[in-house]
Amino acid sequence: MSKSKSQWDFGELFPPKQTRKVLSVSELTGQIRALLEKQIGQIWVGGEVTNLRAQNSGHIYFTLKDASSQLSCVLFSREKVPHRELLADGQKVLLQGDVTVYEARGQYQLIVRAVELQGVGALQIAFEKLKLKLAAEGLFAAERKRPLPKYPQRIGMVTSPTGAAIRDVLHVVQRRNPGLEIILASCRVQGDGAAEEIAEAVKLLNRYNVELEKAARGDDSTIQPFNNSANLDLILVTRGGGSLEDLWAFNEEAVARAIFESGIPVVSAVGHEIDFTIADFVADFRAATPSAAAEIITEGVFACREFVGDAPELLQRAARRGLASAVESFSQLGDRLARLHPRRRLNDSLQRLDDLQTGLLRGLKSAARSRSLVFDNLSGRFFRAKPSLVFKARHETLRQLERRLNALGPEQVLARGYSITTDTASGKVLRDAAKVSAGQSLTTRLANGEIFSRVDR
Amino acid sequence: MSKPAKAGDTARGSVPFEEALKKLEGIVDAMEADDLPLETLLARYEEGARLVKICQEKLAEAEVKIQQLEKTAAGELKLKPFETKEAV
Repeated sequence: MSKSKSQWDFGELFPPKQTRKVLSVSELTGQIRALLEKQIGQIWVGGEVTNLRAQNSGHIYFTLKDASSQLSCVLFSREKVPHRELLADGQKVLLQGDVTVYEARGQYQLIVRAVELQGVGALQIAFEKLKLKLAAEGLFAAERKRPLPKYPQRIGMVTSPTGAAIRDVLHVVQRRNPGLEIILASCRVQGDGAAEEIAEAVKLLNRYNVELEKAARGDDSTIQPFNNSANLDLILVTRGGGSLEDLWAFNEEAVARAIFESGIPVVSAVGHEIDFTIADFVADFRAATPSAAAEIITEGVFACREFVGDAPELLQRAARRGLASAVESFSQLGDRLARLHPRRRLNDSLQRLDDLQTGLLRGLKSAARSRSLVFDNLSGRFFRAKPSLVFKARHETLRQLERRLNALGPEQVLARGYSITTDTASGKVLRDAAKVSAGQSLTTRLANGEIFSRVDR
Repeated sequence: MSKPAKAGDTARGSVPFEEALKKLEGIVDAMEADDLPLETLLARYEEGARLVKICQEKLAEAEVKIQQLEKTAAGELKLKPFETKEAV
């Protein structure tokens, strides 16, 4: 059989324009890869992280998606990306990376070189960065913080005129120290430009304070001091609660610097208890909330109300005690004086006189022969014993006693008509007629002279 | 006794609250603790009574005074009354 064209031999049906090249899968994949790397190469792409898997190797695989497409991504462990731990499902990010193809899977992907967090995550990063920067400059230094005046009479306030913060502060102040005077420098407390307004308000109050001092010194000033009062004792920078974005203005550098440069101590009360802003760190004092700030600011005056109320009573009691003590001292002195007083000495003498009087009577009863002599003797002694005093009353008493004594003496008795009868021999005084015998010799002493007689019966 | 006047003293013409309060505390302490001679006791009592009056006057204020500070177009400082937007 000869090799002839079969009826099925139609020749080349589709003669190639050029030599057809058949690629292997690898070759094709390699071309695609080269094409992508050349045409697209390194780009920035934004989207939302999803399906994130961190491998033991430290490489992080995830998918970046938006509403209608998705992109495989890999962040290798060797890439120096700060805060890679903040990557999480749902996190919005901007990624810088190289588009390429993972040939083994035939999958195009992004090799991530840099990450920028969007939304809250980004704010947190910015917060940390600024915090470190300002701390390094010494804006948060504890030594720089000034003590708050204990009894502020006049304060400045930086806040929104319509917010919850000013309402809360006014309520607390009204309750605890209504005498407090407040100068408000109003501003917006969130949104674009709010940070600049807050900083301006702090500066404005500082400027006002300088003018107040000038006016008080009598220097030229552009203002009339209101109520003839003193300086601003402190500035309260405050706003009510909100999200991190709402409070963001108080994390801005402009606000931090204005607070740092304030010549007046600053109290910062931003948000709720758990919110800490950069303003809080720079301020001289942080309060957890606007109400807490107002409580602390008014504490001194509020606490002293009780003391001031009690003070009149305390003063009076102390004065009375002091006076009583003085009176007591005087009274003691008086006692000492009384003991030294001549009157006391006189009383002693009178007592001696009484004694002498008793002795005198006894002497009369046991009559010696020369009774008048004894009497004279005693009365002489008596007169010699009389105290030499100046008081007429005592003199008179003495004279009275003298008279009584005389009245008891025999002279007075005899003068009244009585006589003393004695036994002539023995001299014994006779009282009992029965004891007398007939013929006994008797001597009778009269006021004048003596009678000698013999007893009849 | 004289002290250097600080800003506010001369403008006020009277003792600042904090100073009055501190003096009053000192007087009460001295009167309660010491055996003061009688003349000093009475002098201190009178001074104390005077200081109590000063402090009580300040504490008797019943209305918070709040004013708003503004910068005029000319750049001058101005105070104006503050209207609270709701009853305090």
